[in-house]
Amino acid sequence: MDWLGAAIDGPLVVIRAIHFAATAVTVGAMIFRAVVAEPALRSTPVAIAVVRSQIRLIASIGLAIAAATGLVWFQLQAVSMSGLPIGETMTSDVLSTVLNETQFGLMSKVRFALAVILAACLVYDRFAQARWLALGSALGFLAAIAWTGHAGSTPGEMGDLHLAADALHLIAAATWMGGLVPLALLLAAGRRNKGLAWASLARRAVQSFSTLGIVSVGTLLATGIVNAWILVGSIHALIVTGYGQLLMLKLVVFAIMLVFAAINRIWLTPRLGFSPENEPQLEALRQLTRNSIIEIALGLTIFAIVGVLGTLHPAIHLM
Amino acid sequence: MHRPAIVVIIPLLLLLVTGEASAHAFLDRAEPRVGNTVATAPREVTLWFTQKLEPAFSRVTITNSAGQRVDTGNTRVSGNQMSVSLRSGGAGMYRVNWRVLSVDTHTTDGSFTFRVGQ
Repeated sequence: MDWLGAAIDGPLVVIRAIHFAATAVTVGAMIFRAVVAEPALRSTPVAIAVVRSQIRLIASIGLAIAAATGLVWFQLQAVSMSGLPIGETMTSDVLSTVLNETQFGLMSKVRFALAVILAACLVYDRFAQARWLALGSALGFLAAIAWTGHAGSTPGEMGDLHLAADALHLIAAATWMGGLVPLALLLAAGRRNKGLAWASLARRAVQSFSTLGIVSVGTLLATGIVNAWILVGSIHALIVTGYGQLLMLKLVVFAIMLVFAAINRIWLTPRLGFSPENEPQLEALRQLTRNSIIEIALGLTIFAIVGVLGTLHPAIHLM
Repeated sequence: MHRPAIVVIIPLLLLLVTGEASAHAFLDRAEPRVGNTVATAPREVTLWFTQKLEPAFSRVTITNSAGQRVDTGNTRVSGNQMSVSLRSGGAGMYRVNWRVLSVDTHTTDGSFTFRVGQ
């Protein structure tokens, strides 16, 4: 027996990694707005216009990249599914078959519709209802990815558990990694606009995001263990298979991200005092911004690894 | 590490060590059984896989010992099960070739044989 497509498919890996990262940033920005920014802005009206437009810009760019890479992903996947040369796939009825007769195609249509709703909500985001609908459609746009991957094909009750774990894993990852982008921009704005209101907003945002981060990390660990149990199956498979080794690399990068998050929470956040012209506070803001950017880079590394993992046969297949 | 965290993580790690799960889109079993001998040619051959399959991209073909196709070409897929009806192909060794796409977009293929008659 041989495994067709078991070799790493370069373009598919790259496009999936970019798509996942762009989706996570889009959805993370929506979650950040609802859970971190809006509550903090209520008591800091001076910053409302700046922060809202920052978040809208991040989500719009993220969604545009996600839409473009999503289309390319669909075409590359059609080539991979059919086993035909790329030219033949594009001219034949293969695209229509993939779109209408596979779960990947169905999920692509659902996600496209959610992306259109999200785009419309971003245009009309001055209305509170549009902001909530944006959050809902963004979460759906992200969670639907679970149905296109390994979790989507696990049969029976185990399949339901796998899907739930994978969808939650995606949401937790986007909450943390995607939320870092608007956080970094908010901190940068806080450094530019030296004032009591901005200092208070930055402190409140960092504290709130830190709590959200702890919830995300807990969810990532729990759902990650469920996914690993289903896809890897044993410590032996984790060690001896390429899939397992790549998963361990992902865990190492995740652990490094945790170290930076801990530094932010334990050392830097308490140094964000009330005084706007306070030097140690500005230094803490600078370091928080730098650490957030490092965490974003590490997060992108994880998305690259995930891009490869999804194209490999899970370790449990090979044991 | 706090004790509550250990209480949660250790059982989960034990699950990771001892857990067993089915593989994806690999042949789990077949009827007639892989490598077995049956007295008469079956009306159909059914294969069960370890993952849900995509009907549009999953196929099975069956040839007799003379290399002639003896399946009707009409592959039926339901969940993780794939069947095909057979025409009469006489006694001898039958080879089943399958190529399936699982819902997680992975393609796998393989083959096995069974014997009809003595």
